[in-house]
Amino acid sequence: MRALLLLAALGAVAAATTENFVGHQVLRIVPSSDAELQKVRELQELEHLQLDFWLSPRGLGDPVDIRVPFPSLQPLKAHLEANGVPYSIMIEDVQALVDLEQMQMLRRRRFMPFSTSTFDYTSYHTLDEIYAFMDLLVAENPNLVSKLEIGHTTENRPIYVLKFSKGGTNRPAIWIDTGIHSREWVTQASGVWFAKKVWADLTSPKGLANILDQMDIFLEIVTNPDGFVFTHTSNRMWRKTRSKHSGALCVGVDPNRNWDAGFGGSGASSNPCSETYRGPYANSEPEVQAIVDFVKSHGNIKAFISIHSYSQLLLYPYGYTTTAVPDKEELHQVAKEAVAALSSLYGTNYKYGSIITTIYQASGGTIDWTYNQGIKYSFTFELRDTGRYGFLLPASQIVPTAQETWKALEVIMAHTRGHLY
Amino acid sequence: MPGFRAALPAALLLLLLSSFPPAAAEQPPWPWTPGAMHALNPSDRHASRAAWTALHYSNYHEASPSTLRALRQVLKATVKIIPGLGVKYYLQFTTEGYINGENAGSCLATVLYLKKSPPEVYIKCAHTQDKKQIQEEDNKFYHYLHHQTKPIIANNIPDSHGNIDRAHLPLWGLAIAGSSYIMLEKSTENLGYFMAQVKAVKQRIRKDSAVEFEFIVLLHETPTQKIELCHMHLIWTLSPPLRVKYICTSDNHWLEDGSGQDYGSAAGLFHEKEGNF
Repeated sequence: MRALLLLAALGAVAAATTENFVGHQVLRIVPSSDAELQKVRELQELEHLQLDFWLSPRGLGDPVDIRVPFPSLQPLKAHLEANGVPYSIMIEDVQALVDLEQMQMLRRRRFMPFSTSTFDYTSYHTLDEIYAFMDLLVAENPNLVSKLEIGHTTENRPIYVLKFSKGGTNRPAIWIDTGIHSREWVTQASGVWFAKKVWADLTSPKGLANILDQMDIFLEIVTNPDGFVFTHTSNRMWRKTRSKHSGALCVGVDPNRNWDAGFGGSGASSNPCSETYRGPYANSEPEVQAIVDFVKSHGNIKAFISIHSYSQLLLYPYGYTTTAVPDKEELHQVAKEAVAALSSLYGTNYKYGSIITTIYQASGGTIDWTYNQGIKYSFTFELRDTGRYGFLLPASQIVPTAQETWKALEVIMAHTRGHLY
Repeated sequence: MPGFRAALPAALLLLLLSSFPPAAAEQPPWPWTPGAMHALNPSDRHASRAAWTALHYSNYHEASPSTLRALRQVLKATVKIIPGLGVKYYLQFTTEGYINGENAGSCLATVLYLKKSPPEVYIKCAHTQDKKQIQEEDNKFYHYLHHQTKPIIANNIPDSHGNIDRAHLPLWGLAIAGSSYIMLEKSTENLGYFMAQVKAVKQRIRKDSAVEFEFIVLLHETPTQKIELCHMHLIWTLSPPLRVKYICTSDNHWLEDGSGQDYGSAAGLFHEKEGNF
């Protein structure tokens, strides 16, 4: 009883204001005996402590949450300890939480994320938002992440690639690109998630970190920026670039038919109005030329993964010919393991094989070119779904899609690292 | 619900086949002997394309937004070239509810791709849904539509982010059922379709017991990657058949080959009609 009076006196001296919550903590007590329950009930009598019961005492085993103003913290804790009443600190700094909430509200109103931890990975974003995200990611970890400008689009937008590297010079590298076909929105959204994932894994001791000890990762999130903007402003179903070649009645070239591999053969169209128009000549599209230049000048890319949607497939070369690639057995095995890893997460069903046997004949395709450049581990993904929503995949599926795809990417990256050539 | 038979009963088809004269020398596109049954890898894209053709048939003929099916997995597939007639696929596959994604049982189907007419389909599916429940859902929706005093108008189902308003789900279902007719007619061994989006839908209020809609739907064609815009007129009386009339961009060269254009002008059609209404 004397202790209680002492506590009350100390509390009376404390002049806690309730204007802000700096230093306030929320304590949790779970009474496990009648004596403890009684002690907690008594605390309610001490008005001078200005305790704010978020959860009032009820019965044994029912949690009691108390917001404690800063000046009352020490006296209260001492009192609880002296009476053998165990407690835990649920919220270390109430004001910080309030600040965060306000920031989040502001962010939602202004659509500008304050950090990559408040960025909304469960929604689709615009080009500006994704470019802002990239800058945030680099700013948060400038020693590990950098942004490279590899070229400009037809409409003069910069083309950016994120580089994740722990150092070294021109280390063997993994390339991942998303959004080459602009309407395939789950791919750019997954690319954003991958960027965050790579960054998060860089700071954790297991998994990816050991790949990054030997290799660099390049990630191009918006491979077709002009097309992407067009899907936001004008036509959600736009696939191609936005180039206007002389004499053409229609706009745009299929960037996945514009590479110099089987260019001009069956599996692409020569009609500018077609969705699979190959373009007037190979690499006519600056978006494609930019990657070609980058790959050639880097010279040490060992795995190249280009991501599309939809159909749920993992593919390796070739698309332009039925001739099997020399590394077919190995690529097939890697694909098999990658797909198994992907499915293990949510049971999503993928098929795999060469492009021409699994999907259709396609000439001038990205990974046919990269394979012929000597990048053995060249793969293309077709992400969710298999036709119900198609290109209009609900945003709620972005994160699960990215998560399962990442499992497959980890297999490919680990295999590459374990079989460097 | 009983499975539906193709226009030509299987027996009659067999009779027709056996009475065919020996085929003139014709180069089959496949490395398979005509007349013999060839097993296909269930992953073969031709198998899934044929399975979807069968589902377009079923989704159209059931005339029930609550019973739409999507392909889950092909279990078995065989193919047979019928010289002078076409190519016939024999399939066993699993399905899921188009709208709810839940297991909807397995189906057996045959799909005969002909040279100059739409494919002929026979399909029979196991039923996992409660018949009464399906009827109730369709009835509820039908009566909701039938009692509208102002015509329902909506755009972009799903929207760019893949969202569908709960209230629009049955409209989406009706559009899929109607589009399935279009997709069935257009499907070939080498061309497959999915309904990508309902760009616009407008109801026409009727005095009789039917409900009537004008749709603009976008169909995704593979492997061409083309987006076909189709204007579809649909009348539903709860029981089959669903009455569908349509015209698509490729049918009347409306928008040339579709690419390089956006759909603003076509969607504007509805707004014009609204003005005159």
